[in-house]
Order: sequence, then structure tokens, then C-alpha cells
Amino acid sequence: MGAYLAKRLAASLVTAILASIVVFLLVRSVPGDVVGQMLGQSSDPVAAKALREFFGLDQPAWRQYLGWLSHVATADFGTSWSRGQPVLGMIGTAVGVTLELALATLAIATLVGVPLGVVAGIYEGRLLDRVIQTFNLLGLAAPVFWIGLMLLVGVSTALEWSPPLMYVAPTESLGENISIMALPVLSLALLQAAAYSQFVRQSVVSAFGQDYVRTAIAKGVPMRTVFFKHLLRNIAIPLITFMGLILIQILGGAVIIESLFALPGLGRLLLSSIETRDYPVLQAGLLVVVVIAMLVNLIVDLCYRVIDPRVRLS
Amino acid sequence: MSVSSVASANPGRLSLIASRARREPDLAFGLVLVVLVILVVLFPGLFTGQSPLTVNVAKAMQAPSLLHPFGTDDVGRDVLARVVHGARITLSICASALIAAALIGGTLGMVSGFVGGRIDMLLGRLMDVILSFPPIILGVMVTGILGPKTLNLVFALTAIYVPVFFRIARSGAMAEAGLTYVEAARSIGLSEPWILFNHVTRNVLPLILVQCMVLFPLVLQIQSALGFLGLGVQPPTPDWGAILQQGKDTILLAPWMSAFPGLAILITALALMLVGRGLQRRMDRR
Repeated sequence: MGAYLAKRLAASLVTAILASIVVFLLVRSVPGDVVGQMLGQSSDPVAAKALREFFGLDQPAWRQYLGWLSHVATADFGTSWSRGQPVLGMIGTAVGVTLELALATLAIATLVGVPLGVVAGIYEGRLLDRVIQTFNLLGLAAPVFWIGLMLLVGVSTALEWSPPLMYVAPTESLGENISIMALPVLSLALLQAAAYSQFVRQSVVSAFGQDYVRTAIAKGVPMRTVFFKHLLRNIAIPLITFMGLILIQILGGAVIIESLFALPGLGRLLLSSIETRDYPVLQAGLLVVVVIAMLVNLIVDLCYRVIDPRVRLS
Repeated sequence: MSVSSVASANPGRLSLIASRARREPDLAFGLVLVVLVILVVLFPGLFTGQSPLTVNVAKAMQAPSLLHPFGTDDVGRDVLARVVHGARITLSICASALIAAALIGGTLGMVSGFVGGRIDMLLGRLMDVILSFPPIILGVMVTGILGPKTLNLVFALTAIYVPVFFRIARSGAMAEAGLTYVEAARSIGLSEPWILFNHVTRNVLPLILVQCMVLFPLVLQIQSALGFLGLGVQPPTPDWGAILQQGKDTILLAPWMSAFPGLAILITALALMLVGRGLQRRMDRR
């Protein structure tokens, strides 16, 4: 287990470094930088030169990169060029908001999607299955930001209420936090619940065709036991992989939903740092996204090994 | 041909289609919707007589009516006309990106899987790096940094899906490389590139084509999401995501500005999903 973990971590580290090089090159491949943004059209060449020196932009790209990497290695992400705050603190706050959004979405999507999928799988081919499958298809086909917009319209016409625009942390006021997060979480969760339900249905249907289920039913094991003891345990393994995939998808979807509902999460931070060409924030933010995605994948693999002895032994 | 023979030939064909449609109603429904979408793309004039670009501030934000079935937007343009004319723009961007990704990813994947060794390792690593970004974030990064232009949007969508095609083509080519016909082709002295591009490609191609259909709705989702964030096609060009972006600020005053383009995305994605799934089922059965 230790050796496996070390190997996986080393591979992830290499990919993360390569990804940061890609980001670094991409960011510097286009005309226009933070200095141009700060000084605007009437840029004074002397001031521009001084500012570029101040930000280190006069150095060759590889030296800038190595400088950045050596700081990152000591957990120093520098200072935001546009806001003057430490990058680490800005990212920390934003990640908190995004994680709240992602975990709440994951919880609701799991609670709704898994039972729906199980029911659809058990009643395969019957009316109930068809109704659930229609929900799945519509949920997967609808754009997530459109669901958000329509929820906003629906709620404001039906309840004459719209969510507050200023974000409040759950530690400050849980009630207000929930009223802000409700619609964003719902719009993301609808899509993911559909994806879950679709996946679980497929797993249940194929498990029912397996010999161990048929044997259990044939020898008279009650359906409830067949389901909870035999079937669910075998579905759990692919389900955990799927959960990881969903979590990474939610992180992506968060960018859109955060911008729609004005949540100060990681997605919105990335968007604004792209706009202002705030390289330290952009690079650190993207690195954090990549690392989170890798960690999720790693945790999924580890769960796999814990649950399934066949994987552990091989 | 006599009248009676035409009459007897038609019901035969029609009943054949009908019986197939009964067997796979999802696929049939999806195909009908796809045909409808293709008609909208090819002949927008059939569906609307209005211009998608003509501004008429006096008629701004009118609710749906007989004259404007989808209402008008904040500068008085007909929303139906914008959605109908937007179909061609939106879907041609998605299709170009898919074709480019299939060509690049498919070719690299086949070479990688067939040749193996160091090339395979290098390309695999590169694809891992691209895959380490969640798709939408990669799209935001590329279009955001390079600038919101249609060409950059196509490039971003292509970059997102190259690794997906790479993996499929790679595993397809690897499976084929061990088969007897490849060995036989080698034994009669055919060159490796010839075997790869003439023999192996023929067997990997169906996998890639089905994947195109399966991925199309996902590409559409990301394309419109980037448009919605203002990183895609720029106004006043009617693109579905861009129309939604313009409707965002007046969503509570004029919800129809957003409802209908979103519905267009939903219906198109649904149609493509149904057809993609039907095709995939057929492939699996084979």
C-alpha cells in the first residue's frame, strides 16, 4: 500500500508540474499583461518598464517560472497583482466557498440520484423506470446555467423571493448562508442526480443479470437481503469511482454557477484573475484545481483498494 | 412503373420503418429531432421570416405573441429569429471542434497504440496533463487567456476533447495490433504505416464515429457555457450561449429571452444523446 501510494503521488506531482508549465506558457503567450491593464492606453514607457521590473516580467519566461516554482515549493504563492493581498489567503477563502457548494451538491445529488437509479433498475422496463429515465435524459440534456436561471425565475414568481446577492459564510449565519446557496446547489444537483440515477440504474440492471444474484434469488433469499447484502456491495465499487468523477464535474460546473449567482468561489476568482491578467492568482488557482482533481482521483483509487480485496491483492 | 406497384412498395417500406421505430422508440424519436435540428440549420428561412440582427428599441422586451412567438430581446430583436439563426453558428462551432479533435486525437491515439514504446509514453503523459483540468476550467482558461474569439473557442473545445479521442483510438489500435490480420499483413511485407492507416484505421474508425455522436451533446453544453460566460461568440452574432448571456441581466423582466435559447440547447442535446445511445447499443450488440 505504501509503495503504491508513493508511486501514485510521484506521478501526480509530475503531472501537476507539467500542468503548471502549460498554464505558465499559455498565460505568457498572449499580448497584453497586468502592466498594460494598469496603465491603460496612455502608457508612459518609463513607468511601464519600472512596473515590469517590479513584477519580474522583464525576465525570461523560464526564470520567472523557476522563481515561481521555488516559492510555491515553500507554500508561498506571492501577492495578488491586482488586489495586493496574499494569494494564499484569497484562494483559501474561495476554495472554502466552492467546497461548500460542491459537497452540498454531491450530498443532495447522491441522496436523490442513487435511490432513483435503484428504483429504475428494479422496475426495469416498466412505467416507473420510464418516468425516471425521462427525468435522467432531461436532466443530462439541460444546460446547468439555464436550470439556474429558470429556478431563479420560478422561485421569484412563485414565492416572490430572490436570493440575497452578498455571500455570507455558514459560520456567520447558517440560515442566510443556506438561502444564498440553495439555488446554486439545486441547479448543480439536478444535473448530477440525473447522471447518478442513470449510472446506478445501469449497474443494478446488469447486476440482476449476474449469476450470484440469480443463485441467491433461486435459493430463496428474501429480496431485501439479496438487494442490501449482495447487490449493493457490488455496486458500491463502481459507484465510488463515479462519485469522484461527479465531484470533479461539480468543480467545473461551479465556475458557471458561481458567476451566475455571484458566489465568491474559486471559479469566479479564476475568471476575474484572467480578466485582470493577475498571473499569481491565476497560476495558483489553476494549480489548486488540478491538485484537488488529482486528490479526488487518488482517494477514489484508495477506496477501491479498501473495499475490493481483488484490487488489493493484484 | 404502374401506380399499383408504387402503392404496394410504399407501405412495405413504411411498415418496415414503423416496426423498427417501435423496437427502438428512443432512437426513432432522437432521429426525428435531429432531422428537425438539421432543417433549422440548413433552412432557417423556413422557420422565421424575421432578421436576427434588426434592432427596434420601440419593441424591446415584448412578451411572446403571435408576431414574436419567442418574444423580443432588450433591443427589440426577435428572439425566435435569433434562436433559429443561432443554430447554425452554435452547432457548426461544436461540429468543427469535434471533427478537429477526432482527427488529431484519433490519429495520435492510433499511432500511440500501434507503435507503443517511448512515443506512447510521451503522448500519454501529454494527454494526462490536459485531462488533469476539469473540461470547463480548461475551456475558460484557453478562451479567457487567448481572448473571446470564435477561432479560440473552437481551439479550446478541440483541446478539451483531443485526449478523449486519443484514449479511444489508442485502446482500439492496441487491441487490433495483436490480431492475426495485422500479423498476416506484416508477413507479406506491408509497411507499418500502410498497415496502420489502411487496415487498422478501418476497424478503429467506427469507434471514433460513435464517440463523435456521444460527445456532441457534451461539446454543446461546454460551448454554450463558455458563451454564457461571455468567452465565446461575441454579440451581436446570435449564438445560443451568447443569447443566454445577454438575457441574464434582465432574467426577471424578460425570462423568455433566456428560456427559449436554453430550450433549444436542451432539445438538441436530448436528440443527440438519444441517437448517440442508440448507435452505441448497436455497436455493443455487434
